[in-house]
Amino acid sequence: MKRRDLVGLLFCAPWLLGFLVFMLLPMGAALYYSFCDYSIVQAPAFIGLANYRELLADALFWRSLYNTLYFAAGAVLLGLLTSLVLALLLNCRVRGLAFYRTVFFLPSLMPVVAGSILWMWMYAGDGGIINTALKAVGLPGPAWLADPRFAKPALILMSMWGAGHAMVILLAGLQDIPTALYEAAVIDGAGWWQRLRHVTVPLVTPVILFNLVMGLIVSLQVFTQAFIMTGASGAPERATLFYVLRLYQVAFRDLRMGYGCAMAWILFLVILGLTALLIRFSGKWVQYER
Amino acid sequence: MSDKNPLHRTSPWLHLPLVLLGLLFLFPLVWLVVSSLQPREQVGLIPPQWLPRRHYLTLDGRTFPVTPPEPILSEQRLVKPLDGPDRGRRRLVAAGRYRDGQLTQTVFTDGRREERVFPAELIQAVPAGSRYVREWAPSKYRTDTPREFYVSPDRLSVRIQPVWGNYPEAVRALTAGEDAKKLPLRELLGRTRWPWTPKDAPEHTVTFLTYLANSLVVAVLGMIGTLLSSSLVAYGLARIQWRGRGLLFTLILATMMVPFPVLMVPLYGLFRSLGWIGTLMPLWVPAWCGSAFNIFLLRQFFLTIPAELTDAARIDGCSEFGIYWRIMLPLVKPALAVVALFHFLYAWNDFLAPLIFLTEPETFTMALGLQQYQSQHGGSEWHLLMAASVLLVLPVVALFFLAQKTFVQGIATTGGNG
Amino acid sequence: MHHPRQAFRFLRGVAALALPAAAVVGLAAGCGKGAVPPDAGTGPRKIIYWEKWTGFEGEAAEQVVKTFNAQEQQKARTTPAYRPIQVQLVSVAEIEQKLMVAIAGGNPPDVAGIETKMLYPYIDKGALLDLTEMIAGAGISKADYIPVFWNMCEHHGRQWALPTTPSTTALHWNKRLFSEAGLNPDVPPATLEELDAWAEKLTRWEVVGGDGTKEIRTGFCTNIPDADKRLVQVGFLPAEPGWWPFLWCYHFGGRLFDENGNVTAAAPENVQAFEWLASYSKKLGVAHLQRFISGFGNFSSPQNPFLSGKVAMEIQGVWMYNFIDKYAPGLQWGVAPFPYPKSRPELARTTLADVDMVVIPKGARHPQEAFAFMRYLNSQEGMEMLCLGHRKFSPLMKVSSGFVSAHPHPYVALFRDLAFSPTVVAMPKSGTWNEYQREMENAAGGVQDLNVTPAAALAGVQARLSGAVERNRRTSQATPTP
Repeated sequence: MKRRDLVGLLFCAPWLLGFLVFMLLPMGAALYYSFCDYSIVQAPAFIGLANYRELLADALFWRSLYNTLYFAAGAVLLGLLTSLVLALLLNCRVRGLAFYRTVFFLPSLMPVVAGSILWMWMYAGDGGIINTALKAVGLPGPAWLADPRFAKPALILMSMWGAGHAMVILLAGLQDIPTALYEAAVIDGAGWWQRLRHVTVPLVTPVILFNLVMGLIVSLQVFTQAFIMTGASGAPERATLFYVLRLYQVAFRDLRMGYGCAMAWILFLVILGLTALLIRFSGKWVQYER
Repeated sequence: MSDKNPLHRTSPWLHLPLVLLGLLFLFPLVWLVVSSLQPREQVGLIPPQWLPRRHYLTLDGRTFPVTPPEPILSEQRLVKPLDGPDRGRRRLVAAGRYRDGQLTQTVFTDGRREERVFPAELIQAVPAGSRYVREWAPSKYRTDTPREFYVSPDRLSVRIQPVWGNYPEAVRALTAGEDAKKLPLRELLGRTRWPWTPKDAPEHTVTFLTYLANSLVVAVLGMIGTLLSSSLVAYGLARIQWRGRGLLFTLILATMMVPFPVLMVPLYGLFRSLGWIGTLMPLWVPAWCGSAFNIFLLRQFFLTIPAELTDAARIDGCSEFGIYWRIMLPLVKPALAVVALFHFLYAWNDFLAPLIFLTEPETFTMALGLQQYQSQHGGSEWHLLMAASVLLVLPVVALFFLAQKTFVQGIATTGGNG
Repeated sequence: MHHPRQAFRFLRGVAALALPAAAVVGLAAGCGKGAVPPDAGTGPRKIIYWEKWTGFEGEAAEQVVKTFNAQEQQKARTTPAYRPIQVQLVSVAEIEQKLMVAIAGGNPPDVAGIETKMLYPYIDKGALLDLTEMIAGAGISKADYIPVFWNMCEHHGRQWALPTTPSTTALHWNKRLFSEAGLNPDVPPATLEELDAWAEKLTRWEVVGGDGTKEIRTGFCTNIPDADKRLVQVGFLPAEPGWWPFLWCYHFGGRLFDENGNVTAAAPENVQAFEWLASYSKKLGVAHLQRFISGFGNFSSPQNPFLSGKVAMEIQGVWMYNFIDKYAPGLQWGVAPFPYPKSRPELARTTLADVDMVVIPKGARHPQEAFAFMRYLNSQEGMEMLCLGHRKFSPLMKVSSGFVSAHPHPYVALFRDLAFSPTVVAMPKSGTWNEYQREMENAAGGVQDLNVTPAAALAGVQARLSGAVERNRRTSQATPTP
């Protein structure tokens, strides 16, 4: 092995150690359990592909997959848009910049319980804040969390406040763009929109890709909000029955961890596939070194 | 730079969207703080009442806080039956049911409903239009009964007044042990059991500060660990051209794709055989082996640094570690600040991992502590939960302020001369 | 790197990082308390008790634990060489999840307080200790308890748990709203037909007149167009609280399992019950109902629909008093057995009985000591201390006069009386119960949104659960009792 390979490996040693100890064993165990009937409190019993076969024939599995993909598409796009707009706004030199930066990040700091209670309160049908605001503009306010058609959009809107994380990362990337490039563009006669299109956005595409990939991976595993707000039932009418919520139901309420592990590995493949697609097609629009 | 530089001109049009969005994003924290200063009955009211309203009763020259008044619409009598199922208890009954010392009551026996008459003494005649109020206290953790009153409305007054008492009550509510809860707050906190208090020191008890200290230990130790290890690994992936780095990167990404609930059970078994269950170690030691999210983040930032810098340093004879330590790290300080902040935030608010891996009450973190305010059949104390959440959010806001400076300074140091 | 010196410098750099890191780790490990040390052989015997209760409920449990510990200390003082049992109470959130992981990891508590719905799955999977011998040896027998609660702790002919705090359900009504609607506030509806008729009188809409004026009208107002009316108060709503959609089947005389453990979800009485559920949606209109329901505040707050006067009558349990006491102390309310269908008077006192239980998980280190504590918890003294603190009745047959006179709950005697009803409903002892309940919830939701007919919804539940029960039979020895 070349010296360089050894050095590379040494640098990555901390992660490798952690992976071997904290990840490989549990992931391997989860894979093994997916071929077993495992109730957590009893020893696992091997049953081959029965879990997978049952899974693919289960209407609830497909429903939860659909719900999750719907949510992920909405949340990732909305999150990207919000964080990009916020970061670009903050990248300009405006008075009170430090204040605005903190303000946009604040909602991400709230504990999940308090945040969920706030949103449930805001989404109340009659007299709730959101519907009152909609009424003032003349739009009818739906029954949000009680209406199966509006429950998922309600949860997608909720994720908008979490844009603070992505915004902060984008800001760090925007700060990295050397001023010299901007000055050169100005000398060439570029206005603010052209500077945005040709200097700012292209140079921050690696960070945007990062946010997209992370957003996808995280939103496909959405669980906590739905758990707190609907009590792990996926109400109304299974509209908010997300994949990991369904997994939790099956693994911990029905005591069928084997089935749950099968679901987990299918989710893994789905996320892996979607991420690979995203990264494969990223070469077209992402620019690395200058 | 000269003042004519268009980059330095700030457009006044920017202020409008900033202010609007700012108000929108400020709303949650404002709501949290406002709710934390409201009495129990006002939190979460629909439609909302923003200003905290306190009701007061003036009786015998004393004014004290009471619950919001409930109107009594028809004439009633407050009586105390001397016999029957409600013997010895005060009961409010319609005026027609009590006559000449005799109370008519509906009694259920063996599923049958029958009207029976019992002797009762009259305590108070309650005319229509009276109000029912009860003495108000910020926490109802005792099983004692507060005093009740049926009074005429002119004795009641309303004041706009924030309930500062929610904060000390929220702190007091997180104390273990009934006797400890009754102490004055300063003495109570003085008896806090810290992470280093020896196990058998019976006068020390678990308090709010214990939860806070545990959260802090986990967050800080994890933060240091992930900073060191994630940057090391990210450097190895981004700046060293070695075989297998692509494969390793994919593997790192892949570990983020397995949901935590399925890993919980084997992990618990693993931690148990290591002897870590019962301590805080399962929560922060894994961070010392790098976290996939932070590795990915730092790798992206390392990739944006021009190769000429590192090549030049290599030619100068600098070791890889030296390049990493002396050149790369300072250049990605904004990203490092982000990593530190995010891990701190994640560890501070994490609920699922502490729930599963912590077994001793002395080691519980604040996220678990917040659960103490919610009771399944007993009703939750939302005003205390909001107060505790505000106390929980403040340190992170402070941390964010401190970290902000490092976000900004990147502009001047990105070696743009290369 | 081309020179060994460089490699050495690299390694030195890494070591420079690793050493302080290791020091910190070592420090923290030293500060951290390790796993529970094995029993020393002398001194008090420590056992761990996990309970899900917080707030005043947790304090009631604490009081019992403290009294027990004090009694044990007293015994140690008077008897030489007696090692007192000392209980440590730990308040645990999400106890089912945590308990399962702990049992699997070989680190369970000695005593755990669980809910009925997890008992039978745990038993089927062998997660709990069989307590039959210990109970018999302690002289505890069936006669000491209200029959339904003793039966709930029994499965396959063996005893697996001891009851702690019980509950039953009944009709709750708002007396003020009754008088405003012209009904006698002290008389509740006796039959379901009466309930439906009175619910109409107690339903109010805000109606917008042609000139924009708003007025309140009572009744179902089916003749007024949807755009002009808004629901502001409802007499009765089966969807509120909506925690037990399966219970309505029992109120109509149906049931969920037959004697052999087969699923009977699609039985005609069950369909009748769900038709009744759908009737409320038809009378009020789905859109109005959804908007009205979405305006309900948190259950555990003054904005609870019953407490804030949005719903006049509701099926609730003995714990409702705690919420009324905390959030709406001035509410004038009444409790009565839930109405029955006029044609089936034998269903008069149908109620859902439930009880929290204490169990000893498999792998507990001190089962004998754990049982000694459980025995105290089930003694007259311990049980009444706990149930009084929870403002519930006691599952024991004997009731001390002090318990009754000190009890703050005004209707506790009624709830206790209901537990003796011949038509009392206890949760089916099936490993698939959680799944069954979820499916019924979903079916009820679909029926109440008028998206699916009751017959079709219940047929769907029947099909799905038959498969689940079949699967469960293959993997365990479960035989549910109806």
